[in-house]
This record gives sequence, C-alpha cells and structure tokens, in this order.
Amino acid sequence: MAIMMKQKRRLGAYVYIFPALLFMVGLRIYPLLRGLYISFYKTDLISRWDFIGFQNYIKVLVNKQFYTSILLTLKFTVFVVAGHFIIGFLLSHILNKDIKGITFFRAILILPWVIPESVIAMTFKWLLNPLYGLINQTLMSLSLISEPISWLGDGDFAFVAVVLACIWKGFPMIMVILLAGLQNINQDLYEAADIDGATGMKKFIYITLPSLKGVIYTALVLDIIWWFKHYTIVWVLTQGGPGSATSLISIDIYKRSFEYFEFGAGSSVAIVVFTIIFVIKYVMERGFKINVDS
Amino acid sequence: MLTAKRSRSIKNLGHYTILIIFSFFVLVPILWMVSTAIKTEAETFSLPLRWIPEQPTFGAFKRILIEYPFGTQFKNSFINASLSTVITLICSTLAGYGITRFKFKGKKTFMSFLLVSQMFPAVMLLVPFYTILRRFDMINTHVGIVFVYISMALSFSTWMMTSFFNDIPRSLDEAATIDGCSKFQVFLKVIMPLTMPGMTSVAIYAFIMGWNDFLFASTLITHNHMKTLTVGIAEFSGQYNVLWNDLMAASIVASIPLIIMFTFFQKYFISGMTAGAVKQ
Repeated sequence: MAIMMKQKRRLGAYVYIFPALLFMVGLRIYPLLRGLYISFYKTDLISRWDFIGFQNYIKVLVNKQFYTSILLTLKFTVFVVAGHFIIGFLLSHILNKDIKGITFFRAILILPWVIPESVIAMTFKWLLNPLYGLINQTLMSLSLISEPISWLGDGDFAFVAVVLACIWKGFPMIMVILLAGLQNINQDLYEAADIDGATGMKKFIYITLPSLKGVIYTALVLDIIWWFKHYTIVWVLTQGGPGSATSLISIDIYKRSFEYFEFGAGSSVAIVVFTIIFVIKYVMERGFKINVDS
Repeated sequence: MLTAKRSRSIKNLGHYTILIIFSFFVLVPILWMVSTAIKTEAETFSLPLRWIPEQPTFGAFKRILIEYPFGTQFKNSFINASLSTVITLICSTLAGYGITRFKFKGKKTFMSFLLVSQMFPAVMLLVPFYTILRRFDMINTHVGIVFVYISMALSFSTWMMTSFFNDIPRSLDEAATIDGCSKFQVFLKVIMPLTMPGMTSVAIYAFIMGWNDFLFASTLITHNHMKTLTVGIAEFSGQYNVLWNDLMAASIVASIPLIIMFTFFQKYFISGMTAGAVKQ
C-alpha cells in the first residue's frame, strides 16, 4: 500500500512536469543534438550532406578570424557588463533609499528594459546619424567636436557606439535584481551595527556586500551569458561592420550559416561558444564559492 | 542634530542629482523618438535640430497605419506573443507545482537543465530550428514561431514559478487534502490562486520575450504577410532614404503595448523576475 502510494505520487509529479519536459526535450535537447549533428557535416541543408567529422571544428580553430571574433566578443561583454554593473549598483543603492519621488525615478529608469531591441537599435542609428543626428549636433553646439563624426562608419567609434547602446538597454536588469537583493537584507543587522557604532562604510563592507554576494553572482552570470551571445542591437546597428569592427561571435555564426550557407561551420562555432559560456559560468561559480568559504 | 539633518539633505541632494542625470540619459532617446515622430519629413532633415517641431503632426502615425503593413505586423506580433505566453504560462505553472510538491527521480537534473539551457546562444539554435520547422512545413507559420518562443521563455518561467510555489506553505496543501480535495483540486483551487502574482509576472516575461524577438522572426519568417513588428522596423530602410519620422512613429507604436503593460503590472513583473533570479 505504502509503495503504491509512493508510486502514485511519483507518477503525479510527472503529469505536472510532462508538458514542460516535452517542450524542453523537443525544443531544446533535440535542437541542440541536431546542431551538434550538423556541425559534423558539410551541408547546404537540402541536397548536400557530406560527413566530414571534425573538419569544421579544425577549420574554425585554426582560423585567426575566429579568435579575433571571440576576443572582440569578450571585450564587448566586459565593457557592457561592467557598464551595467557600475550603473546598476549605484542606482540600486539610491533607489533603496527612503526619499521622495523614488517610484517616479524607478519607473523612468526601468524603461530601456521594455523597449524592443530592434527599436532601440533604430533609435540609436537615428541619434548617431552623422548629419542630422542629435548626438553630433549636440557635441558640435557644445564645441566638443568641430565636424560631424561618422559614428557607425569608423571601426573604433562603431564599437563604442554599440557598447553604449547595449549598456543603455541592459542596466535596468542588474539594477532591479540588486535592488531586490538589498530589500531582502534583514534590517536588524543594520540596527545591531548601529548600536555597535559602525560607520556607513563598515556596514557596507561587513553587512551589505556579504549579503548581496549570491545576488551579485546571479546577476553577473545572467548578464554575461546574455550579452556574450548578443546579436540584435549590433546586427541592426552595424551588421558587424565596418569591416569586422563589431563582428561579435553571434553575428559570425549568423553570417556563416545564412549568408555563406556554411551551416556545418556555423554550427561548429555555435558549439564552441556554448562550451566557452559553460566554462565561464563554471569558473565564476568556483570563484564566488571560494570567496564564500574563506 | 541640526548638522545631522543638514548632512542628510546634502546626501539627498547628491542622490537626486545622480537620479536626474541617469533619468536624463534614459529619456533623451525616448523623447527624441517622440519628437521625430511628430515632425514633417522636411523638418527631420532641417538644421538646427529642434525638440519642439514647428508644425507638429500625427501624419507619420496615420501613414504607418495606411501606407505600410504595420497593422498586419502588429497583429502578427500580438498573435505570436500571446499564444506563446498562454502555453508558457500553463506549462511553467504545472511544472512549478510539480517540482515543489513532489519528490521524484531526476528532479535535480531537470532543475539544472533548466539553468544550463539558458546558456545556449540563441543563434546556435537558429539552424536546428530552421531545419526542424522546414521539415514540418512550419516556416512562415504562427505555430512554428510560437514553439520557438515557448522554448526561449519556458526555462526561466519555470524557475520563477518554482520560487513562487516554494513561498506558499505546505501546510495549506495538507489542510486542503484533509478537507477532502484531490491533489489536482488542491493545485487548482487552493494553491494556484495564491500564485497569481507569480503567474502575472511569468505572463509578462513571456510576452516581452515574444514581442521583442528579432533574431528568430527575421530568419524563420520570409513571407511579408507573416513578418512581425520588430523585423518590420529593422527592415524599414527605403531604397533611397529612411523616413525617420515614420520609422520613429512605428517604433513608438511597437513599444507602447509593453510600456502600458509594464506600468500596470510593474510590481508583479519585478518581483517575479527577481524572485527567479535572486532565489536561485
């Protein structure tokens, strides 16, 4: 009887989980395996399916362009995530304060989060327009520059421009997650510290930071994963150009697959990127845990 | 005492300054969008630039409704995002309940798989999705793209729901069982109503994911009449000239549903997002 009950309970669980599991297997595991499969072929996905083993991987890994693209993506991710984190950290602390009008500011500061990426990209394209763009006009009227800058036409400027657009889009997420973390901290801790006569800085170092550790970790991991594989804003703004100045790894994968129709090579890069993201997450998990222990 | 008060008000002044500076940077692109959208075409290309147009006009909004396929694209976006939201909501609510209320084999594996699946680069799934949808003849269909959106939203939604169900005491389940409810009745009539805030935030999250998508819609949809709003906006460059006033009007129209939804449900959405992220 007891065994039967137990089995019934187990079956019950699977009934609830089944729909989600079905979608995950069909739409995540199967496509992933399918991608892995394609990465071993030279294929146009229609008539030609030549099994070539690891050749796609070898070709990708001996190609200098791949490393340039990965390094560029790392650089992009570091700047974007650092921007999100610094702004998000600062603002979350202020938004946690009990001052007037805070809901009003919070509503404004969250806006970039809900505007579609392609809309943001187009708006920045317009702001960055060399002749009629607000940014050049403002800089010129302030005499900061003497002639219009072709923001998206010059490699260095284009990189700066896409990084700034992506910082603009993404800081609210970090801000909101950290704000929630701050609000979860037990206020008694601060009161106890006040009685002990701790200063603001000490309270920050010994209470706030340790309490936020897990939240900071999650926010950073999510943000790094998210922006390492970013595609839309950069694609719409520059399509990876000029030259390959903003050719992030996602854009590289897209071009290999849907412009040069080298689906196998594109898939092998995707698998490598997945591995890199996995390693980054693993290293970060380790790094944060070691800190927690010590 | 007086000095303490003064130092606090100086501190507040600093806080307000920072808030105002960042709000300024957030608002400038948005207000410029609005300003451009109510300009005439000639004025978008006239210098010096003005914030307040000389002859404000809603012509651009009229044009995008009449001369461009934005009506159709809006409808497509709406269908795709709503359908995927409904299915994501059902699946993640059921799964969240199952995960928190039952012990079963593979629970840990399932949970960590949900996390790992967040790490797939979206572009990595692009080619597989493309081949799969083509095989089932679902390129250029709502159903095909809806499946893709479900897969993008489902794992984090399930995490969110799990943390909401975890917050509801198990004693409630037990009390309802003693009152004679079956397990499914407990779920449907007692526990689920209590997770309404969680379900609201999952719904908003899934809707935003579907509404915002550009990558999948731009690759898996090739027929003009099936295109979505975000793709329409990104492809909006005429052969000679971009009509920026029309484009900015379309951008505003594409952003408004989410901004409205967000304004009303901000509290739920934020608590849901952060519950999923913070309590991992």
